[in-house]
Amino acid sequence: MSLLRTLIPFDIYNGLKLTGRYFGRNFFSANRKKVKANLKHITVEYPEVPIHLAPRFRGRLQMLRDEQGEIKCICCLACERICPTQVITIEKDKKEGRKLPFPKVYTFEMERCIFCEFCVEACGYDSIILNHQFELAAYDREDFSHGTEGAFQNMFKPTPIGTFSVAGDDDANAPHY
Amino acid sequence: MMQMTPIPMTIVQTLVMALIQIIAILAFIFVLVPMLTFAERKVIGYVQVRLGATRIAGGNRGLTGAVNKLMWWMGHFPVISFFRGLPIFMADGLKLVTKEDIMPAKADKFVFWLAPILCMVPAFAVFAAVTFYPGVLGVFPAWFPIVGGLPVTGYMTDINVGLLYILGLASVGVYGIVLGAWASNSKYPLLGGLRSAAQVISYEVPLTLSLLAPVILTGSLNFRTMSVDLATKMTPWAIIPLFIGFFAYLTCGFAETNRVPFDLAEAESELVSGFHTEYTGMKFGWFFLSEYTNMIVVSALATAFFLGGHYLLPFGLQQFVPASAGWIAQPHLIFFIGKIGFLLFVFLWVRATLPRYRYDQLMSVGWKYFIPLTLVNLFIAGLVRFMA
Repeated sequence: MSLLRTLIPFDIYNGLKLTGRYFGRNFFSANRKKVKANLKHITVEYPEVPIHLAPRFRGRLQMLRDEQGEIKCICCLACERICPTQVITIEKDKKEGRKLPFPKVYTFEMERCIFCEFCVEACGYDSIILNHQFELAAYDREDFSHGTEGAFQNMFKPTPIGTFSVAGDDDANAPHY
Repeated sequence: MMQMTPIPMTIVQTLVMALIQIIAILAFIFVLVPMLTFAERKVIGYVQVRLGATRIAGGNRGLTGAVNKLMWWMGHFPVISFFRGLPIFMADGLKLVTKEDIMPAKADKFVFWLAPILCMVPAFAVFAAVTFYPGVLGVFPAWFPIVGGLPVTGYMTDINVGLLYILGLASVGVYGIVLGAWASNSKYPLLGGLRSAAQVISYEVPLTLSLLAPVILTGSLNFRTMSVDLATKMTPWAIIPLFIGFFAYLTCGFAETNRVPFDLAEAESELVSGFHTEYTGMKFGWFFLSEYTNMIVVSALATAFFLGGHYLLPFGLQQFVPASAGWIAQPHLIFFIGKIGFLLFVFLWVRATLPRYRYDQLMSVGWKYFIPLTLVNLFIAGLVRFMA
Protein backbone atom coordinates (compact mmCIF):
# COMPACT_ATOMS: atom_id res chain seq x y z
CA MET A 1 0.00 0.00 0.00
CA SER A 2 2.80 2.37 0.90
CA LEU A 3 4.60 1.34 -2.27
CA LEU A 4 1.49 2.16 -4.28
CA ARG A 5 1.18 5.56 -2.61
CA THR A 6 4.76 6.32 -3.50
CA LEU A 7 4.38 5.22 -7.08
CA ILE A 8 1.12 7.10 -7.64
CA PRO A 9 1.81 10.44 -5.99
CA PHE A 10 -1.67 11.63 -5.03
CA ASP A 11 -0.23 14.16 -2.60
CA ILE A 12 1.83 15.82 -5.29
CA TYR A 13 -1.22 15.78 -7.56
CA ASN A 14 -3.36 17.46 -4.88
CA GLY A 15 -0.71 20.08 -4.22
CA LEU A 16 -0.31 20.87 -7.89
CA LYS A 17 -4.08 21.08 -8.27
CA LEU A 18 -4.32 23.62 -5.46
CA THR A 19 -1.50 25.85 -6.68
CA GLY A 20 -2.70 25.52 -10.26
CA ARG A 21 -6.15 26.69 -9.23
CA TYR A 22 -4.69 29.71 -7.46
CA PHE A 23 -2.47 30.47 -10.44
CA GLY A 24 -5.35 30.34 -12.89
CA ARG A 25 -7.59 32.50 -10.73
CA ASN A 26 -4.94 35.14 -10.18
CA PHE A 27 -3.59 35.08 -13.72
CA PHE A 28 -6.95 36.07 -15.15
CA SER A 29 -7.97 38.55 -12.48
CA ALA A 30 -4.76 40.46 -11.96
CA ASN A 31 -5.87 43.87 -13.14
CA ARG A 32 -7.30 47.00 -11.60
CA LYS A 33 -10.60 47.04 -13.50
CA LYS A 34 -11.71 44.29 -11.19
CA VAL A 35 -11.22 46.57 -8.17
CA LYS A 36 -13.60 49.15 -9.53
CA ALA A 37 -16.14 46.53 -10.58
CA ASN A 38 -15.98 45.32 -6.96
CA LEU A 39 -15.00 41.82 -8.02
CA LYS A 40 -12.62 39.61 -6.19
CA HIS A 41 -9.10 40.85 -6.60
CA ILE A 42 -5.98 39.11 -5.48
CA THR A 43 -4.18 41.85 -3.63
CA VAL A 44 -4.03 45.59 -2.95
CA GLU A 45 -1.83 47.64 -5.23
CA TYR A 46 -1.29 49.99 -2.36
CA PRO A 47 0.44 53.20 -3.40
CA GLU A 48 -1.64 53.52 -6.57
CA VAL A 49 -4.96 52.15 -5.43
CA PRO A 50 -6.06 53.63 -2.10
CA ILE A 51 -6.37 51.14 0.68
CA HIS A 52 -9.78 50.48 2.15
CA LEU A 53 -9.67 51.22 5.87
CA ALA A 54 -12.15 50.14 8.52
CA PRO A 55 -14.25 53.05 9.89
CA ARG A 56 -12.75 52.69 13.35
CA PHE A 57 -9.16 52.73 12.11
CA ARG A 58 -6.99 54.72 14.53
CA GLY A 59 -4.74 57.12 12.70
CA ARG A 60 -3.28 60.49 13.68
CA LEU A 61 -4.87 62.74 16.31
CA GLN A 62 -6.73 65.68 14.77
CA MET A 63 -8.69 68.58 16.35
CA LEU A 64 -12.12 69.53 15.08
CA ARG A 65 -13.83 72.91 14.64
CA ASP A 66 -17.56 73.58 14.86
CA GLU A 67 -19.74 75.21 12.19
CA GLN A 68 -18.58 78.72 13.08
CA GLY A 69 -14.95 77.73 12.73
CA GLU A 70 -14.36 77.82 16.45
CA ILE A 71 -12.18 75.18 18.11
CA LYS A 72 -14.46 72.69 19.82
CA CYS A 73 -11.97 71.96 22.61
CA ILE A 74 -12.85 73.57 25.95
CA CYS A 75 -9.69 72.58 27.83
CA CYS A 76 -11.20 70.08 30.26
CA LEU A 77 -7.78 68.33 30.20
CA ALA A 78 -9.45 64.89 30.15
CA CYS A 79 -7.31 63.78 27.21
CA GLU A 80 -4.14 65.07 28.78
CA ARG A 81 -4.89 63.22 32.00
CA ILE A 82 -5.85 59.89 30.45
CA CYS A 83 -3.02 59.74 27.90
CA PRO A 84 -0.80 56.75 28.85
CA THR A 85 2.29 58.18 27.19
CA GLN A 86 1.56 61.83 28.03
CA VAL A 87 1.95 63.16 24.55
CA ILE A 88 -0.73 65.88 24.89
CA THR A 89 0.03 69.24 26.53
CA ILE A 90 -2.67 71.88 26.85
CA GLU A 91 -2.45 75.49 27.99
CA LYS A 92 -5.70 77.22 28.90
CA ASP A 93 -6.50 80.74 27.81
CA LYS A 94 -9.46 83.15 27.63
CA LYS A 95 -10.66 84.69 24.43
CA GLU A 96 -12.99 87.62 23.58
CA GLY A 97 -16.54 86.50 22.85
CA ARG A 98 -16.05 82.90 24.00
CA LYS A 99 -17.51 81.79 27.27
CA LEU A 100 -15.62 78.54 27.57
CA PRO A 101 -11.82 78.27 27.89
CA PHE A 102 -9.75 78.18 24.76
CA PRO A 103 -6.61 76.04 24.18
CA LYS A 104 -3.83 78.54 23.58
CA VAL A 105 -1.37 75.69 23.16
CA TYR A 106 -2.37 72.16 22.27
CA THR A 107 0.76 70.11 21.57
CA PHE A 108 0.66 66.55 20.35
CA GLU A 109 3.96 64.72 20.09
CA MET A 110 3.25 61.93 17.64
CA GLU A 111 6.63 60.24 18.04
CA ARG A 112 5.51 58.82 21.38
CA CYS A 113 1.82 58.33 20.61
CA ILE A 114 0.62 54.72 20.79
CA PHE A 115 -2.67 55.40 18.97
CA CYS A 116 -4.81 53.91 21.75
CA GLU A 117 -7.73 56.34 21.22
CA PHE A 118 -8.18 56.84 25.00
CA CYS A 119 -8.12 60.64 24.46
CA VAL A 120 -10.98 60.47 21.98
CA GLU A 121 -13.00 58.26 24.32
CA ALA A 122 -12.32 60.58 27.26
CA CYS A 123 -13.34 63.71 25.36
CA GLY A 124 -16.86 64.72 26.35
CA TYR A 125 -17.26 67.32 23.61
CA ASP A 126 -16.25 65.31 20.50
CA SER A 127 -13.56 67.84 19.79
CA ILE A 128 -10.79 65.46 18.74
CA ILE A 129 -10.70 62.38 16.53
CA LEU A 130 -8.13 59.93 15.29
CA ASN A 131 -8.33 60.37 11.51
CA HIS A 132 -7.65 57.74 8.86
CA GLN A 133 -4.11 58.79 8.09
CA PHE A 134 -1.46 56.13 8.41
CA GLU A 135 1.35 57.39 6.17
CA LEU A 136 3.04 59.19 9.05
CA ALA A 137 6.72 58.76 8.27
CA ALA A 138 8.75 61.96 8.28
CA TYR A 139 12.34 62.94 7.71
CA ASP A 140 12.53 65.39 10.60
CA ARG A 141 11.83 64.78 14.25
CA GLU A 142 10.08 68.14 14.52
CA ASP A 143 7.57 67.05 11.92
CA PHE A 144 6.16 64.75 14.58
CA SER A 145 5.19 67.66 16.85
CA HIS A 146 1.75 69.02 16.11
CA GLY A 147 0.19 72.06 17.73
CA THR A 148 -2.01 75.07 17.31
CA GLU A 149 0.67 77.74 17.52
CA GLY A 150 3.71 78.94 15.62
CA ALA A 151 5.15 76.67 12.96
CA PHE A 152 3.13 73.69 14.11
CA GLN A 153 -0.40 74.78 13.25
CA ASN A 154 -1.27 71.42 11.80
CA MET A 155 -3.53 69.92 14.43
CA PHE A 156 -6.54 70.77 12.27
CA LYS A 157 -5.60 69.18 8.97
CA PRO A 158 -4.02 65.93 7.97
CA THR A 159 -0.27 65.87 7.63
CA PRO A 160 0.80 66.64 4.06
CA ILE A 161 2.06 63.47 2.38
CA GLY A 162 4.54 62.99 -0.44
CA THR A 163 3.42 61.82 -3.87
CA PHE A 164 4.96 58.51 -4.74
CA SER A 165 2.34 56.99 -6.95
CA VAL A 166 2.94 56.22 -10.62
CA ALA A 167 -0.76 56.20 -11.31
CA GLY A 168 -2.34 58.74 -13.62
CA ASP A 169 -4.71 61.53 -12.61
CA ASP A 170 -7.76 59.29 -12.77
CA ASP A 171 -6.43 57.27 -9.89
CA ALA A 172 -5.29 60.27 -7.85
CA ASN A 173 -8.86 61.42 -7.15
CA ALA A 174 -9.43 59.10 -4.26
CA PRO A 175 -7.73 60.30 -1.06
CA HIS A 176 -5.33 58.00 0.70
CA TYR A 177 -6.96 58.34 4.10
CA MET B 1 9.75 11.34 -42.33
CA MET B 2 12.01 10.19 -45.11
CA GLN B 3 15.77 10.42 -44.94
CA MET B 4 16.73 13.78 -46.41
CA THR B 5 18.98 13.71 -49.41
CA PRO B 6 21.85 16.02 -48.53
CA ILE B 7 22.06 19.06 -50.76
CA PRO B 8 25.56 19.65 -52.18
CA MET B 9 27.09 22.67 -50.44
CA THR B 10 30.54 24.17 -50.46
CA ILE B 11 32.48 24.35 -47.21
CA VAL B 12 31.87 28.09 -46.89
CA GLN B 13 28.16 27.60 -47.43
CA THR B 14 28.08 24.82 -44.83
CA LEU B 15 29.90 26.99 -42.31
CA VAL B 16 27.71 30.02 -42.92
CA MET B 17 24.58 27.92 -42.69
CA ALA B 18 25.78 26.38 -39.43
CA LEU B 19 26.62 29.85 -38.13
CA ILE B 20 23.13 31.09 -38.96
CA GLN B 21 21.59 28.15 -37.13
CA ILE B 22 23.90 28.62 -34.15
CA ILE B 23 22.96 32.29 -33.92
CA ALA B 24 19.28 31.42 -34.17
CA ILE B 25 19.54 28.87 -31.35
CA LEU B 26 21.63 31.20 -29.19
CA ALA B 27 19.07 33.94 -29.74
CA PHE B 28 16.37 31.45 -28.75
CA ILE B 29 18.21 30.61 -25.52
CA PHE B 30 19.19 34.17 -24.67
CA VAL B 31 15.62 35.35 -25.14
CA LEU B 32 14.01 32.42 -23.35
CA VAL B 33 16.23 32.38 -20.26
CA PRO B 34 15.57 36.00 -19.16
CA MET B 35 11.89 35.50 -19.96
CA LEU B 36 12.02 32.42 -17.78
CA THR B 37 13.48 34.31 -14.83
CA PHE B 38 10.75 36.92 -15.26
CA ALA B 39 8.10 34.21 -15.60
CA GLU B 40 9.44 32.61 -12.44
CA ARG B 41 8.77 35.79 -10.47
CA LYS B 42 5.30 36.17 -11.91
CA VAL B 43 4.14 32.54 -11.78
CA ILE B 44 5.27 32.06 -8.21
CA GLY B 45 3.75 35.43 -7.35
CA TYR B 46 0.37 34.47 -8.77
CA VAL B 47 0.44 31.10 -7.06
CA GLN B 48 1.16 32.80 -3.73
CA VAL B 49 -1.62 35.39 -4.29
CA ARG B 50 0.81 38.20 -5.05
CA LEU B 51 1.33 40.17 -8.23
CA GLY B 52 5.05 39.52 -8.64
CA ALA B 53 7.15 42.27 -10.18
CA THR B 54 5.02 45.17 -11.40
CA ARG B 55 7.43 48.10 -11.57
CA ILE B 56 11.10 49.01 -11.77
CA ALA B 57 13.05 51.09 -9.32
CA GLY B 58 13.43 54.79 -9.96
CA GLY B 59 10.27 56.58 -8.81
CA ASN B 60 7.79 58.45 -10.93
CA ARG B 61 9.99 60.91 -12.83
CA GLY B 62 12.06 60.69 -15.99
CA LEU B 63 12.53 57.54 -18.03
CA THR B 64 11.81 55.07 -15.24
CA GLY B 65 8.72 57.08 -14.36
CA ALA B 66 7.48 56.85 -17.94
CA VAL B 67 8.14 53.10 -17.97
CA ASN B 68 6.37 52.70 -14.64
CA LYS B 69 3.37 54.71 -15.86
CA LEU B 70 3.21 52.57 -19.00
CA MET B 71 3.28 49.40 -16.93
CA TRP B 72 0.59 50.77 -14.65
CA TRP B 73 -1.56 51.40 -17.71
CA MET B 74 -0.88 47.85 -18.90
CA GLY B 75 -2.47 46.63 -15.68
CA HIS B 76 -5.90 47.57 -17.00
CA PHE B 77 -6.04 44.62 -19.39
CA PRO B 78 -6.43 41.01 -18.28
CA VAL B 79 -3.56 39.03 -19.79
CA ILE B 80 -1.38 41.98 -20.81
CA SER B 81 -1.15 42.84 -17.13
CA PHE B 82 0.93 39.67 -16.77
CA PHE B 83 3.75 41.47 -18.58
CA ARG B 84 3.96 44.36 -16.15
CA GLY B 85 7.48 44.50 -14.81
CA LEU B 86 8.93 43.03 -17.99
CA PRO B 87 11.86 45.53 -18.02
CA ILE B 88 13.03 43.88 -14.82
CA PHE B 89 14.73 41.14 -16.79
CA MET B 90 16.94 43.75 -18.46
CA ALA B 91 17.76 45.00 -14.97
CA ASP B 92 18.60 41.44 -13.94
CA GLY B 93 21.00 41.01 -16.86
CA LEU B 94 22.61 44.41 -16.34
CA LYS B 95 23.11 43.66 -12.68
CA LEU B 96 24.87 40.38 -13.46
CA VAL B 97 27.12 41.96 -16.08
CA THR B 98 28.12 45.05 -14.12
CA LYS B 99 28.58 43.45 -10.71
CA GLU B 100 32.03 43.29 -9.14
CA ASP B 101 33.80 40.00 -9.71
CA ILE B 102 35.09 38.69 -6.38
CA MET B 103 37.30 35.64 -6.03
CA PRO B 104 38.18 34.12 -2.64
CA ALA B 105 41.83 34.66 -1.75
CA LYS B 106 42.64 30.97 -1.37
CA ALA B 107 40.54 29.75 -4.26
CA ASP B 108 42.06 27.63 -6.99
CA LYS B 109 42.15 30.35 -9.63
CA PHE B 110 42.22 28.23 -12.78
CA VAL B 111 39.53 25.78 -11.70
CA PHE B 112 37.45 28.64 -10.34
CA TRP B 113 37.43 30.09 -13.84
CA LEU B 114 36.98 26.74 -15.53
CA ALA B 115 33.93 25.61 -13.55
CA PRO B 116 31.29 28.03 -14.93
CA ILE B 117 32.56 27.39 -18.46
CA LEU B 118 32.37 23.63 -17.92
CA CYS B 119 28.83 24.11 -16.68
CA MET B 120 27.67 26.32 -19.51
CA VAL B 121 29.32 24.94 -22.66
CA PRO B 122 27.72 21.44 -22.48
CA ALA B 123 24.35 23.01 -21.78
CA PHE B 124 24.61 25.00 -25.00
CA ALA B 125 26.34 22.29 -27.05
CA VAL B 126 23.45 19.89 -26.41
CA PHE B 127 21.29 21.98 -28.73
CA ALA B 128 23.42 20.87 -31.69
CA ALA B 129 21.58 17.55 -31.69
CA VAL B 130 18.11 18.82 -30.85
CA THR B 131 15.67 18.79 -33.74
CA PHE B 132 13.36 21.76 -33.58
CA TYR B 133 11.54 20.84 -36.78
CA PRO B 134 11.99 17.62 -38.75
CA GLY B 135 12.37 19.19 -42.16
CA VAL B 136 13.04 22.40 -44.00
CA LEU B 137 11.95 25.55 -42.23
CA GLY B 138 12.42 27.84 -45.22
CA VAL B 139 14.59 28.58 -48.24
CA PHE B 140 16.87 31.59 -48.50
CA PRO B 141 15.95 33.83 -51.45
CA ALA B 142 18.22 33.53 -54.45
CA TRP B 143 19.66 37.06 -54.09
CA PHE B 144 21.08 36.29 -50.63
CA PRO B 145 24.91 36.62 -50.69
CA ILE B 146 26.45 33.25 -49.82
CA VAL B 147 23.59 30.93 -48.92
CA GLY B 148 21.10 32.05 -51.57
CA GLY B 149 18.67 29.33 -52.64
CA LEU B 150 19.70 26.98 -49.85
CA PRO B 151 17.14 25.47 -47.45
CA VAL B 152 17.32 26.08 -43.68
CA THR B 153 16.69 22.88 -41.79
CA GLY B 154 15.02 22.81 -38.39
CA TYR B 155 17.98 20.93 -36.91
CA MET B 156 21.69 21.67 -36.87
CA THR B 157 23.10 18.18 -37.19
CA ASP B 158 21.44 14.91 -38.05
CA ILE B 159 23.88 12.57 -36.32
CA ASN B 160 22.89 8.94 -35.82
CA VAL B 161 23.84 8.89 -32.14
CA GLY B 162 22.13 12.17 -31.22
CA LEU B 163 20.65 10.87 -27.99
CA LEU B 164 23.97 9.40 -26.85
CA TYR B 165 25.66 12.71 -27.59
CA ILE B 166 23.03 14.59 -25.58
CA LEU B 167 23.25 12.25 -22.58
CA GLY B 168 27.04 12.31 -22.66
CA LEU B 169 27.24 16.09 -22.71
CA ALA B 170 24.51 16.49 -20.13
CA SER B 171 26.52 14.50 -17.59
CA VAL B 172 29.59 16.69 -18.17
CA GLY B 173 27.64 19.57 -16.62
CA VAL B 174 27.98 18.16 -13.11
CA TYR B 175 31.77 18.49 -13.37
CA GLY B 176 31.27 22.23 -13.50
CA ILE B 177 29.28 22.15 -10.28
CA VAL B 178 31.68 19.86 -8.44
CA LEU B 179 34.82 21.66 -9.61
CA GLY B 180 33.35 25.06 -8.83
CA ALA B 181 32.40 23.84 -5.38
CA TRP B 182 35.84 22.42 -4.73
CA ALA B 183 37.73 25.41 -6.14
CA SER B 184 35.84 27.87 -3.91
CA ASN B 185 37.81 26.52 -0.92
CA SER B 186 34.85 27.01 1.37
CA LYS B 187 32.75 24.56 3.33
CA TYR B 188 29.24 25.30 2.08
CA PRO B 189 30.10 25.09 -1.63
CA LEU B 190 31.97 21.85 -0.98
CA LEU B 191 28.95 20.30 0.73
CA GLY B 192 26.69 21.51 -2.06
CA GLY B 193 29.02 20.13 -4.70
CA LEU B 194 29.27 16.73 -3.02
CA ARG B 195 25.51 16.51 -2.69
CA SER B 196 25.11 17.52 -6.30
CA ALA B 197 27.58 14.88 -7.45
CA ALA B 198 25.82 12.11 -5.53
CA GLN B 199 22.42 13.30 -6.69
CA VAL B 200 23.32 13.62 -10.36
CA ILE B 201 25.05 10.24 -10.41
CA SER B 202 22.01 8.62 -8.74
CA TYR B 203 19.50 10.17 -11.08
CA GLU B 204 21.56 9.72 -14.23
CA VAL B 205 20.65 6.03 -14.11
CA PRO B 206 16.82 6.27 -14.08
CA LEU B 207 17.02 9.22 -16.47
CA THR B 208 18.89 7.17 -19.03
CA LEU B 209 16.74 4.10 -18.37
CA SER B 210 13.56 6.10 -18.92
CA LEU B 211 14.98 7.43 -22.19
CA LEU B 212 15.84 3.89 -23.27
CA ALA B 213 12.14 3.03 -23.62
CA PRO B 214 11.74 5.36 -26.64
CA VAL B 215 15.01 3.99 -28.00
CA ILE B 216 13.63 0.44 -27.82
CA LEU B 217 10.32 1.49 -29.31
CA THR B 218 11.89 3.19 -32.32
CA GLY B 219 15.11 1.22 -32.65
CA SER B 220 17.10 4.37 -33.32
CA LEU B 221 19.31 6.90 -31.55
CA ASN B 222 18.79 9.63 -34.11
CA PHE B 223 16.92 12.53 -32.53
CA ARG B 224 14.89 13.40 -35.62
CA THR B 225 13.92 9.85 -36.49
CA MET B 226 13.01 9.09 -32.88
CA SER B 227 10.86 12.14 -32.37
CA VAL B 228 8.96 11.65 -35.64
CA ASP B 229 8.53 7.89 -35.20
CA LEU B 230 7.42 8.21 -31.58
CA ALA B 231 4.69 10.59 -32.61
CA THR B 232 3.37 8.82 -35.69
CA LYS B 233 4.49 5.22 -36.07
CA MET B 234 3.71 3.64 -32.69
CA THR B 235 1.31 0.85 -31.87
CA PRO B 236 -1.48 1.93 -29.52
CA TRP B 237 0.10 -0.09 -26.67
CA ALA B 238 3.16 2.16 -26.78
CA ILE B 239 1.17 4.79 -24.91
CA ILE B 240 1.74 2.90 -21.62
CA PRO B 241 5.57 2.95 -21.60
CA LEU B 242 5.59 6.48 -22.97
CA PHE B 243 3.19 7.68 -20.28
CA ILE B 244 5.11 6.11 -17.40
CA GLY B 245 8.41 7.09 -18.96
CA PHE B 246 7.34 10.71 -19.27
CA PHE B 247 6.74 11.14 -15.56
CA ALA B 248 9.86 9.20 -14.62
CA TYR B 249 11.92 11.24 -17.06
CA LEU B 250 10.46 14.55 -15.91
CA THR B 251 11.15 13.76 -12.24
CA CYS B 252 14.71 12.71 -13.00
CA GLY B 253 15.06 15.82 -15.13
CA PHE B 254 14.11 17.93 -12.12
CA ALA B 255 16.86 16.17 -10.17
CA GLU B 256 19.35 16.50 -13.04
CA THR B 257 18.87 20.26 -13.30
CA ASN B 258 18.99 20.76 -9.51
CA ARG B 259 15.55 22.30 -9.45
CA VAL B 260 13.06 22.29 -6.60
CA PRO B 261 12.14 19.81 -5.06
CA PHE B 262 15.60 18.32 -5.67
CA ASP B 263 17.66 21.50 -5.24
CA LEU B 264 19.90 20.06 -2.57
CA ALA B 265 22.98 21.40 -4.35
CA GLU B 266 21.95 24.95 -3.50
CA ALA B 267 19.71 24.40 -0.49
CA GLU B 268 19.64 27.99 0.66
CA SER B 269 18.25 27.17 4.09
CA GLU B 270 21.07 24.76 4.89
CA LEU B 271 24.03 25.68 2.68
CA VAL B 272 24.16 29.41 2.07
CA SER B 273 23.72 29.15 -1.64
CA GLY B 274 25.31 25.78 -2.28
CA PHE B 275 27.97 25.35 -4.91
CA HIS B 276 27.89 28.96 -6.16
CA THR B 277 28.14 30.66 -2.78
CA GLU B 278 31.52 32.20 -3.59
CA TYR B 279 30.65 33.16 -7.15
CA THR B 280 29.66 36.70 -8.04
CA GLY B 281 29.01 38.76 -11.12
CA MET B 282 29.06 37.15 -14.52
CA LYS B 283 30.70 33.94 -13.31
CA PHE B 284 27.61 33.36 -11.20
CA GLY B 285 25.63 34.44 -14.25
CA TRP B 286 27.07 31.54 -16.26
CA PHE B 287 25.98 29.05 -13.60
CA PHE B 288 22.56 30.66 -13.60
CA LEU B 289 22.35 30.59 -17.38
CA SER B 290 23.45 26.96 -17.53
CA GLU B 291 20.82 25.93 -14.97
CA TYR B 292 18.05 27.53 -16.97
CA THR B 293 19.45 26.25 -20.26
CA ASN B 294 19.47 22.75 -18.77
CA MET B 295 15.80 23.23 -17.93
CA ILE B 296 15.14 24.06 -21.58
CA VAL B 297 17.13 20.98 -22.66
CA VAL B 298 15.18 18.69 -20.34
CA SER B 299 11.92 20.19 -21.57
CA ALA B 300 13.00 19.77 -25.20
CA LEU B 301 13.91 16.11 -24.69
CA ALA B 302 10.69 15.35 -22.81
CA THR B 303 8.75 17.10 -25.56
CA ALA B 304 10.47 15.26 -28.39
CA PHE B 305 10.40 11.75 -26.91
CA PHE B 306 7.23 11.67 -24.84
CA LEU B 307 4.96 14.56 -25.74
CA GLY B 308 4.79 13.98 -29.46
CA GLY B 309 7.56 16.37 -30.44
CA HIS B 310 6.67 18.46 -33.46
CA TYR B 311 3.17 17.02 -33.71
CA LEU B 312 0.15 18.14 -31.75
CA LEU B 313 -0.86 15.14 -29.66
CA PRO B 314 1.34 13.63 -26.94
CA PHE B 315 2.23 9.99 -26.05
CA GLY B 316 1.94 8.64 -29.59
CA LEU B 317 -1.73 9.57 -29.85
CA GLN B 318 -0.89 11.38 -33.08
CA GLN B 319 -1.17 8.06 -34.96
CA PHE B 320 -4.97 8.21 -34.62
CA VAL B 321 -5.09 11.49 -36.56
CA PRO B 322 -5.61 10.76 -40.27
CA ALA B 323 -3.05 12.28 -42.59
CA SER B 324 -5.83 14.16 -44.37
CA ALA B 325 -6.66 16.19 -41.25
CA GLY B 326 -4.83 19.29 -42.45
CA TRP B 327 -2.57 21.26 -40.13
CA ILE B 328 -3.33 19.00 -37.15
CA ALA B 329 -1.61 16.11 -38.89
CA GLN B 330 1.41 18.16 -39.90
CA PRO B 331 4.49 18.84 -37.76
CA HIS B 332 4.99 22.44 -36.80
CA LEU B 333 7.64 24.45 -35.00
CA ILE B 334 4.97 26.13 -32.88
CA PHE B 335 3.89 22.80 -31.35
CA PHE B 336 7.44 22.04 -30.29
CA ILE B 337 8.12 25.47 -28.80
CA GLY B 338 4.69 25.55 -27.15
CA LYS B 339 5.24 22.20 -25.44
CA ILE B 340 8.66 23.37 -24.24
CA GLY B 341 6.98 26.46 -22.84
CA PHE B 342 4.37 24.37 -21.05
CA LEU B 343 7.01 22.12 -19.51
CA LEU B 344 8.99 25.16 -18.37
CA PHE B 345 5.79 26.39 -16.73
CA VAL B 346 5.53 22.99 -15.03
CA PHE B 347 9.05 23.54 -13.66
CA LEU B 348 7.91 26.81 -12.07
CA TRP B 349 4.59 25.34 -10.97
CA VAL B 350 6.32 22.50 -9.14
CA ARG B 351 8.75 24.95 -7.58
CA ALA B 352 5.83 26.92 -6.21
CA THR B 353 4.21 23.77 -4.84
CA LEU B 354 6.64 21.27 -3.40
CA PRO B 355 9.12 21.66 -0.54
CA ARG B 356 12.64 20.29 -0.78
CA TYR B 357 13.25 16.58 -0.23
CA ARG B 358 15.43 15.45 2.63
CA TYR B 359 18.73 13.97 1.48
CA ASP B 360 17.93 10.37 2.40
CA GLN B 361 14.46 10.68 0.87
CA LEU B 362 16.07 11.93 -2.32
CA MET B 363 18.40 8.95 -2.45
CA SER B 364 15.73 6.39 -1.60
CA VAL B 365 13.33 7.82 -4.18
CA GLY B 366 16.06 7.62 -6.78
CA TRP B 367 17.42 4.16 -6.04
CA LYS B 368 14.48 2.29 -4.53
CA TYR B 369 11.64 3.54 -6.70
CA PHE B 370 12.78 5.15 -9.90
CA ILE B 371 15.32 2.60 -11.02
CA PRO B 372 12.91 -0.36 -10.57
CA LEU B 373 10.09 1.70 -12.12
CA THR B 374 12.11 2.61 -15.17
CA LEU B 375 13.37 -0.97 -15.49
CA VAL B 376 9.78 -2.25 -15.48
CA ASN B 377 8.93 0.45 -17.97
CA LEU B 378 11.83 -0.71 -20.14
CA PHE B 379 10.46 -4.26 -19.97
CA ILE B 380 7.00 -3.04 -21.02
CA ALA B 381 8.56 -1.13 -23.89
CA GLY B 382 10.41 -4.24 -24.98
CA LEU B 383 7.18 -6.23 -24.78
CA VAL B 384 5.36 -3.65 -26.91
CA ARG B 385 8.17 -3.70 -29.44
CA PHE B 386 8.16 -7.52 -29.46
CA MET B 387 4.40 -7.68 -30.04
CA ALA B 388 4.42 -5.18 -32.88
